[in-house]
Amino acid sequence: MSLLAWSAVALVVVGLFFTIVAAVGLIRLPDLYTRAHATSKADTLGTLLTLAGVAVVFQSGVPRIKLGLLAVFMLITTPTATHAITRAAHDQGIAPWVLGGDEE
Amino acid sequence: MSGTSGPRILVPVGDSVTLRNTVAYAVRELTEASEDGSVHFVFPTHWQTRQLDEEAAEAAEELLDRIQTWVREDLDLEPDEEVPMSVTTALIATEEYLFSYRDYADSLVEYAREHDLDHIVFDPEYNPDGQGPLLSPIEAELDRLDDITYETAPVEREIRGRQLLTGGINIGTFLGTFVLSFLFYQFLGGFSGTFDYATGAISAGIVAAVLSGITFSGDFRPLRALRTIGRLLVYFPFLLWEIAKANLQVAYIVLHPSLPIDPSVERIRPAVPIGLPVTLLANSITLTPGTVTIDIRDREFYVHAFSQSSRDGLYDGDLERWVRFVFFGRGGFRIASLRERGQADESADDQESPPATEEADSV
Repeated sequence: MSLLAWSAVALVVVGLFFTIVAAVGLIRLPDLYTRAHATSKADTLGTLLTLAGVAVVFQSGVPRIKLGLLAVFMLITTPTATHAITRAAHDQGIAPWVLGGDEE
Repeated sequence: MSGTSGPRILVPVGDSVTLRNTVAYAVRELTEASEDGSVHFVFPTHWQTRQLDEEAAEAAEELLDRIQTWVREDLDLEPDEEVPMSVTTALIATEEYLFSYRDYADSLVEYAREHDLDHIVFDPEYNPDGQGPLLSPIEAELDRLDDITYETAPVEREIRGRQLLTGGINIGTFLGTFVLSFLFYQFLGGFSGTFDYATGAISAGIVAAVLSGITFSGDFRPLRALRTIGRLLVYFPFLLWEIAKANLQVAYIVLHPSLPIDPSVERIRPAVPIGLPVTLLANSITLTPGTVTIDIRDREFYVHAFSQSSRDGLYDGDLERWVRFVFFGRGGFRIASLRERGQADESADDQESPPATEEADSV
């Protein structure tokens, strides 16, 4: 395999790692707000890296521009969706989990 | 409230086609009623204009001057004659950043109470941030109050649809929208020949004709837009770096056996104006180390912070400064950080008090 193919694989694998981190975080973290951290950040980077890996595979310009646009839309929509979800929770009066709050 | 005396009217003003008639209506209301009424024309500046946008600040003051002149015209005053009734013009909320309609309503109500006004007259085309229709949400906020009534000035309203037919389209925004949508179409189509160029031009023409009125806030200024995009390209690597750091931090915390988190909700008042800058900042906060923007209300950001280190990062205000840089150039860096602006007190309190009390006042 060429260096190019290896770097594509590396990017996709690292991207997958962060996506898995997002999934693990979703399960392990205590409440909606902290889970939002895991999904908004790790998922974004995971997707971006995977897109970058795909961009390496495609040699021509046009698919890369499309991938770039995809990345930009990801960067806009992920935080917006996170914001919508956490805000809805906040409006419902769901109190955030805090350190030591469990003991009560 | 002084319901027995003459009308006490508050008119929020901004650049609009029906402003002239609204002013005339307010003055007429005043002259037809008893004599001790008063009318205040106020311009919510919605950001610290002087510091960020000299041009907008001057435009606002010019507008208030123009209103003074109109009032004199309506009252048929000689140049040296005093205005007999209390007519006041003022810039309000000069030290605040108004993020939403709620903030507009709050600042209007605040002003009205301060000056003992009980009636608000809206210009039907009032659109203070140049973006969405803000009027009905403001009215919805006012509906909840007993002591302040409002109405929309019954003046002729220009129908938006008619602009299409009468050629009232702004050439700048039309071309801007056309070029953007044409390029987008070609990028997706891969610049693949005459057919695509023709269909692209037709589609872009339709999009521009229908949507150019709402694509840009205010007038489309190509040079300014280009500079903003240029600065956005400088901001982008910084943001990517911050995102990478955020991810390593989240990965570390999530995979650590003892899950070392110390979350809290912080309330901050960033110094950025309404519209795109607020959106960019809120989204950037969400994407970067350990912080998620939960809500924007009452002129404050509610930010959920993951750990102590992310709280520190938030109060350093790097992102805020970068966002101002993107929209207003290097001057944006000069405004002090949250900590320097005295909001550090809040963060100091947070560190001393148990985190559980922080959200005591929420909802």
